[in-house]
Amino acid sequence: MDLGLLEELTVTGALVGAMYGLVALGIVLIYKTSGTANFAQGAIAMMGAYVVWAFAGAAGLPMWLAIAVAILLMFAFGVAVERTVLRRMIGQPVIMIVMLTFGIELLLRGVVPGFLGSTVKRINLGIPQAPVFLGDMLINRAYLIGGGVSAALIMAAVILFNSRFGIIMRAVPDDQVASWSVGIRVERAIAVAWGLAAIAATAAGVLWGSIQGVNWSLSLLLIKALAIAILGGLDSIGGVLLAAVLVGVCESLATGLLDPLTGGGTRDMAASIIIVTTLMVRPYGLFGQERIERV
Amino acid sequence: MGLTRRTFVASTAAAVIGGRAAAAVDEKIILFGMPQDFTKIYTFLTVEYSQGQRDYFSLVNSRSGINGYKIVADVSDSANDIPRAIETYERLKREGMVLIDPLSTPVARALVSRALEDKINLVTPFSGRSDAADGTVFPYVMPLSPNYWSQAALIIEFFRQQDKDLKGKKLVLVHIDTPFGKEPIPILQTLSQKLGYEFATFPYAPPGNDQSAVWPQVRRAKPDWVIFWGAGVGQSSSLSEAIRNGIPVDRMCAQVWLSESDMNVVGNDAAKGVLKVEPCASGRDPKIIGDILKDVVGKRQGAGPDAKIGTSYYNYGVMMGAIMVEGVRLAFNRFPNGPITGAWLNAGLTSITNFTAEGLLPAMTITKEDHQGGGKGRIARWDGTKFVPQTDWFAAGQDVVWEEIYKSAETFKTTGK
Amino acid sequence: MFYRRSGILHLDYRYERQLWPLPFDRLLVATVAILLLAAPFVVNRLYLVAYLLPWLIWSSAALGLNLLMGGAGQIHLGYGAVMAIGAYTSVHLVRFGAPLELAMLAGGLASAAIGIVFGAAALRVKSLYLAMATIAMQYIVDFTIVHLPGVSGGVLATIQVPMVRFLGFKIEGDLPTYYMALLVCAVITLFMLNVDRTAVGRALAAVREKDFAAEIIGIDTFKYKLLAFWISSFIGGVVGSVLVVCYLRSVSPDQFHLDLSVQILAMVLVGGLGSVLGSFFGAGLILFAPIIFEGLIGITAAALGVQINADLKAHLPLMLYGALIVVFLLVEPLGLAKIYDNVRNYFLVWPFRTSRT
Repeated sequence: MDLGLLEELTVTGALVGAMYGLVALGIVLIYKTSGTANFAQGAIAMMGAYVVWAFAGAAGLPMWLAIAVAILLMFAFGVAVERTVLRRMIGQPVIMIVMLTFGIELLLRGVVPGFLGSTVKRINLGIPQAPVFLGDMLINRAYLIGGGVSAALIMAAVILFNSRFGIIMRAVPDDQVASWSVGIRVERAIAVAWGLAAIAATAAGVLWGSIQGVNWSLSLLLIKALAIAILGGLDSIGGVLLAAVLVGVCESLATGLLDPLTGGGTRDMAASIIIVTTLMVRPYGLFGQERIERV
Repeated sequence: MGLTRRTFVASTAAAVIGGRAAAAVDEKIILFGMPQDFTKIYTFLTVEYSQGQRDYFSLVNSRSGINGYKIVADVSDSANDIPRAIETYERLKREGMVLIDPLSTPVARALVSRALEDKINLVTPFSGRSDAADGTVFPYVMPLSPNYWSQAALIIEFFRQQDKDLKGKKLVLVHIDTPFGKEPIPILQTLSQKLGYEFATFPYAPPGNDQSAVWPQVRRAKPDWVIFWGAGVGQSSSLSEAIRNGIPVDRMCAQVWLSESDMNVVGNDAAKGVLKVEPCASGRDPKIIGDILKDVVGKRQGAGPDAKIGTSYYNYGVMMGAIMVEGVRLAFNRFPNGPITGAWLNAGLTSITNFTAEGLLPAMTITKEDHQGGGKGRIARWDGTKFVPQTDWFAAGQDVVWEEIYKSAETFKTTGK
Repeated sequence: MFYRRSGILHLDYRYERQLWPLPFDRLLVATVAILLLAAPFVVNRLYLVAYLLPWLIWSSAALGLNLLMGGAGQIHLGYGAVMAIGAYTSVHLVRFGAPLELAMLAGGLASAAIGIVFGAAALRVKSLYLAMATIAMQYIVDFTIVHLPGVSGGVLATIQVPMVRFLGFKIEGDLPTYYMALLVCAVITLFMLNVDRTAVGRALAAVREKDFAAEIIGIDTFKYKLLAFWISSFIGGVVGSVLVVCYLRSVSPDQFHLDLSVQILAMVLVGGLGSVLGSFFGAGLILFAPIIFEGLIGITAAALGVQINADLKAHLPLMLYGALIVVFLLVEPLGLAKIYDNVRNYFLVWPFRTSRT
């Protein structure tokens, strides 16, 4: 077994996993505050990337300004989606809400490439192509920066949720009525959570878009993000980072070690098997809270 | 409100049905069906390809068509959804469609049995069923272009010419992990035994946006040549990853699915030196493209943005359009009085001889037995602004390719029909 | 006025539990049945092959999923995989020479067997987590099909369906395929209509409402959840083989991805969870909406003389499809069946008004 290859795969996997984790962060944020899973997260990431491209590429703004504008716009978008669409579904069975987010995903996948063009677009973050060498190990510079930014954002989310604001956000899913009675504005907290999730998605969209180009396939980030969210626990933000690294490393090693044996495709299998195993063995994930149902 | 709304809807519907039927009867048209995938998987390609096709048909129609008949292309979005494609197929069949170009491998496969039964020409450029080159088994399935096996053989031949001898060299195929990506493997393996090179494959999960685990392995394999076989996002990701992993791009070659848009995404300068297979000339030099610019775009009849004219996929569209129209022209030569049916067009398509579309294509000859047309192409290199041809038009390894075609067609014949 | 309720006296429990006690309802059902049977002779061939046939097949699939989701209250986002298993099993068996009837049943059994393996997930987790588990199942089955050449048929990965005979008739051309699909659909519909009236149906309803309460009153939720998955997957497998034999005539892995699962899920939800009629309505809407939109867009564009960018035009049906699902779930979460119900209630007492308004 080529140890060098293993090391490289592990490091690359961890970094790529962190980048997927950014999308998972959005899913966890939304689940934590409003108790629903957002299957449109991938499409929102795609939309964020398109918006950045529209400002940077088409309108010609400098990249940092385009990203800032996009973040503001996407925050507003997240809040708008929550307010108009999700609010009316409160109390409905979970499957309805899941289907609704699927519908939003289809809608976004039609609207965004339809109006902004479906050919692949370029986002240039100015990351130099030259790789970083750690001894004999080659680290892809784009992944290094992408993984670093993602990890930083996830850590920021953890810190945010430990602050006063975060405690408010944590109170809301725990008991909405009690939160109301102590004066917490529940609707605002949920809307803010959606906005933050949209920002996380945009960041992920920009990072991935700069690596692979911006087109509809960015919405496929969803599946990996789901695997990470489940493994880490749907309501644990800190768990996202650890789970992201785990999933990334597993996938990377699977591709590197198992693909030659099976002829390919083990990457997606790794995510699926992780989901199934987690749900069988520890349904609430590594760090999730157990839901106890009372008769 | 109710009555007015109802009458409005009813009258619109009547107008549509009546109008459409009247149009089909009165005008002299030849109907081509193009239910292509604009929104699902082939998005990278379809828009430009369709633009090229439609611009070419506009050019032909502006010159009063063929024998007074106009070419009508019914373009719609199939979204790679087979029921929708079948619905479009049946609907257009009723309106007298003689040719259908789905530009999608799964849709083409689903339509094969119907096309063979209904005798409608199913054009499958570069994709669909590679074994459909065998016209005796698939009389109505027309690739009309070098299939993936031929493209793989072209690439190997180019490598051999560059290195003089491939014995002992290491070749690597980085491909998308779908049937499309795995298609060249049998040919590449047969040729590896014949020519003596080492061959390894590295698949990546579709759609190919995350190839992070593949390229470190490729780097460690220290290949002499890398063939990357994907489409759209997979291709640009492959190139970006290769560059970031320090693999020399001028030793990398793709099949036909590499375009200026992909180069833009990777970075025009960063991708300098990468190779691809060209089935037709690229750029705005060919006479046909010039004609389109003058007569179609000049008169503001262009089907899309001007910037895309002359790009690779646009020219593929023009190429296929030109071959189809040549088939129509030859059909009129043989049977000037029609009737305009799929069989009529088939006779025309299978009599195409040494057709170059005024310099756009290598000389293509289609016969009843050979629907591929010779499998000719050339290798081109990206120089930072455009693809520059490195060789002449040539075909390679057709003996190996046809062996594979016959083998696969045999299976279809015994089990399918 | 139409739904005459006078003169209907139930002298017997059997009569009271009829599916359609009102004669007008029976008339409607009979009309629909006759229309469907006579369709090939009355309706244009295009409508038969391109609209009726897929509608019947997709409705059958929606019915199967409805049993699981509306009947037993479980979520299944991997129904496409279930259909794939049935389709592949039956095609392989047919190519080996087995008669189609056996192959279809075997396909259903194979689907059911693998279906309950993943249904076992339902015993551990609920709702959202179950949804994710079934998505994972979808991917695993996708992977298995594509990577076992024995299953997928080799490099080109498309297997043609050879000539088959069903109940003695050659399944070739429009008429036999249509009638075969109609027969299967009718059997499944009859089954679904009657499930609620059986003990199994009532047990599933109890499990759906509150499974621990059901456990307490003595219903073995373990057994009934698995049973629901088994039956639903069996139906899915059979429908998968019908889909492949009658409509597609060839089977390849691209046809059974997550999109198919989401599509059938949308049909069930838009049509109305738990409603047989709703499955048909939902299937019709989801299947034909993009096609109708495409036509409408073309007409409006031509009428207004506006040239829409081809890229945008191609994306409009997708946009409208997504918007349709969103709007439906927001405005009428109980689905098209509820709308039908409202209309029916209105006519039930027409020309009088209902007591609420």
